[in-house]
Amino acid sequence: MEKIDIPQEENKILEGHRKVMYVSDEKGEFHTENYGSSVEEFATKTAVEEFDLLAKESLKKIQLNEASPIEYYMYKNRMDFPTLVSVVGMFSFRVKRHLKMKNFKKLSDKILNRYCEAFNISLEELKGFKV
Amino acid sequence: MNKEFEHSQFAHCESGTISTLLTSYGLKISEPMAFGITSCLSFVYLPFIKISNMPLIAYRQMPKNIINRISKVLNIKMEKRKYKDPIKANEELSKLINQNHLVGLQTSVFYLPYFPKDMRFHFNAHNLMVYKKEGNEYFISDPVFEDIVKCDEKELTKARFAKGIFAPKGFLYYPKQIPTNIDFEKIIKKAIKKNANSLLTPFPYAGVKGMRKLAKSIALLKLDNNERYIKNFLTHIVRMQEEIGTGGGGFRFLYAAFLQESKKYNLDENLLEEASTLFVKSGNTLREFALLCVESSRNLDKFNPEKISEKLIEASKYEEEASKLLKRV
Repeated sequence: MEKIDIPQEENKILEGHRKVMYVSDEKGEFHTENYGSSVEEFATKTAVEEFDLLAKESLKKIQLNEASPIEYYMYKNRMDFPTLVSVVGMFSFRVKRHLKMKNFKKLSDKILNRYCEAFNISLEELKGFKV
Repeated sequence: MNKEFEHSQFAHCESGTISTLLTSYGLKISEPMAFGITSCLSFVYLPFIKISNMPLIAYRQMPKNIINRISKVLNIKMEKRKYKDPIKANEELSKLINQNHLVGLQTSVFYLPYFPKDMRFHFNAHNLMVYKKEGNEYFISDPVFEDIVKCDEKELTKARFAKGIFAPKGFLYYPKQIPTNIDFEKIIKKAIKKNANSLLTPFPYAGVKGMRKLAKSIALLKLDNNERYIKNFLTHIVRMQEEIGTGGGGFRFLYAAFLQESKKYNLDENLLEEASTLFVKSGNTLREFALLCVESSRNLDKFNPEKISEKLIEASKYEEEASKLLKRV
């Protein structure tokens, strides 16, 4: 039987938890064993950092009065656009408009509240958003 | 009903959940067996479907395939419920737990507070089991965790009613009736053949061909001003394999374990052994492939698309060979 190497590297993202994978012994019998993969750690970290980066870029656009705080909170909550659309339950062309500052400023509290609920924040946090 | 319930940790959430559920309801089935008899090994690459701006890549069948297929394959009556109203969903869940049921749930990882912060993404098809409630707290057997975990009702409800792709809609399930005389030999044979055929499908975006399609798109990647995308794309492939998948080509090891276990059921042992070895080789190769992807992402100066692409093609060859063997089982 072909050997399976079990990586025993550090993966800080798991915060002390350990996952298992299947490995075989000399007789070819399989069982589960704990492993730690730095490859996995790097891949996850990259995905987390990409959302952080998108949120940062959003802040810059908010300063320039282009993007709205909704865009920032979308990335902060690790959502992509279709996920946000589905969470707030509006048409995507509407949500797309709300991501722009000039349209955001005209929104009613009622609409804003739907976003607040999606992001688990208060109305003040969204309305009075400061970069 | 679930008096013999015992929490165990598994490589994959859906096969792990089904294994624990069926075992505690009286039919002992290992995780590899649950994965194998539902013909779950797969590869899909759909560049035109985007998730977080990245193409859809999966190393196994779509979520819920195991839950749906296992009842068909083993002729199990599975109680499955979806809800519109979260309050009603909670009431019924509590009632089931009070009747001593062990209940499987579909949830979104993002809203589960016991997950490490950086693992919480909007992945809506995470499976776990609930078996006890004290006050507002549910006791959960989550197959990817070493120990029992707890979760507040409010947060679990959020996780059960998350929106987006694969939205769980409060989905819960548990076996209602399990037949006593199951002809495993026949079932396994059929499942293996079916899986072999699906890996050899002529559809260019799935199975062995799908792996080569992805390999080709990697080979065509060019660095010019594309660094951020390439880094995200390569690590995305790895995440789907390692994190959402299990342990780097872990699904291949899982399937190899299934083939090994199938030897007990009067099938061609040599053939199973050979195919099992090939899937282990594929899993090992996929791990090397993941390593190459990550090395390139860490240092794009060393980015060598042909080399990465070739590794994936190597893995696809093992799987093609194994599938051709298994068609004869």
